[in-house]
Amino acid sequence: MTQREIMLKKIGTYKFAMKDLQLYLDTHPKDEVALNKFEEYRAILKPLVREFEQKYGPLTLKSNDMSNKYLWIKNPWPWDIEEDD
Amino acid sequence: MFVYEKQLQYPVKIKRCNPQLAKIIISQYGGPDGELGASLRYLSQRFSMPVQELKATLTDIGTEELNHLEMIGAIVYQLTKDLSEEEIKKNGFDAYFVDHTTGIYPSSAAGVPFTAAYIQSKGDPITDLHEDMAAEQKARTTYDNILRFCDDYDVKDPIRFLRAREVVHYQRFGENLRILTDKLDSKNFYQFNPSFDKKCFKKRK
Repeated sequence: MTQREIMLKKIGTYKFAMKDLQLYLDTHPKDEVALNKFEEYRAILKPLVREFEQKYGPLTLKSNDMSNKYLWIKNPWPWDIEEDD
Repeated sequence: MFVYEKQLQYPVKIKRCNPQLAKIIISQYGGPDGELGASLRYLSQRFSMPVQELKATLTDIGTEELNHLEMIGAIVYQLTKDLSEEEIKKNGFDAYFVDHTTGIYPSSAAGVPFTAAYIQSKGDPITDLHEDMAAEQKARTTYDNILRFCDDYDVKDPIRFLRAREVVHYQRFGENLRILTDKLDSKNFYQFNPSFDKKCFKKRK
């Protein structure tokens, strides 16, 4: 795996944990333990995404600083295969 | 409203191309129990859902299915990348190739194009939730069948992830059905359409 893939996988792992909790909370909206977990992961995820986006460009168009360049179009796209370092 | 995230829900990185596998996995893109049908089914059914938990679940699972559609597209794309003409012929990929080259087209493994006839949106939440639970099981069986033909870990790994999600979604839809019936008269759950016959809801005390 490339450094970029390692960082992205970590981000994806937290995003997925939040998605799974989200589905659980849809049917258990009063479960405070699950809600706290959701908030805990959200807090961990935020700096990870910021660090990634500063290094490699935006993951979404809403969250990033585009003052210099329009990096959104930059390869790789999610279906591209990256060569290992 | 939807915002695109430039990342797969679970990584797909396939090093060896395998057009034979691509030919069967495309069924989860545009086949009868595939991810395109799943997302359209839930995102369409949600409009007539009468209860907030159900609206949330159908929106969130329907959205997740779009992630899965993208993963299947990535798997098929990577399995057919840089194919030689010889490999195309040898593996029986020529029937797909002649119509789509190596583009990703929503069809079943047998080449039947995607159709909205694969899904229903009945406007009755009990009917729709039963369809949704059946759909998750059908997709789970399809992934089990795909896994019978997989000998490459790079393919197996994301397919196993997708299979596990079908099980979780089935559980959530089951909870939705219970949440709904808890609000109805237990003597005749199946007598009414809770989205249309509003009087079937229990009166609040």
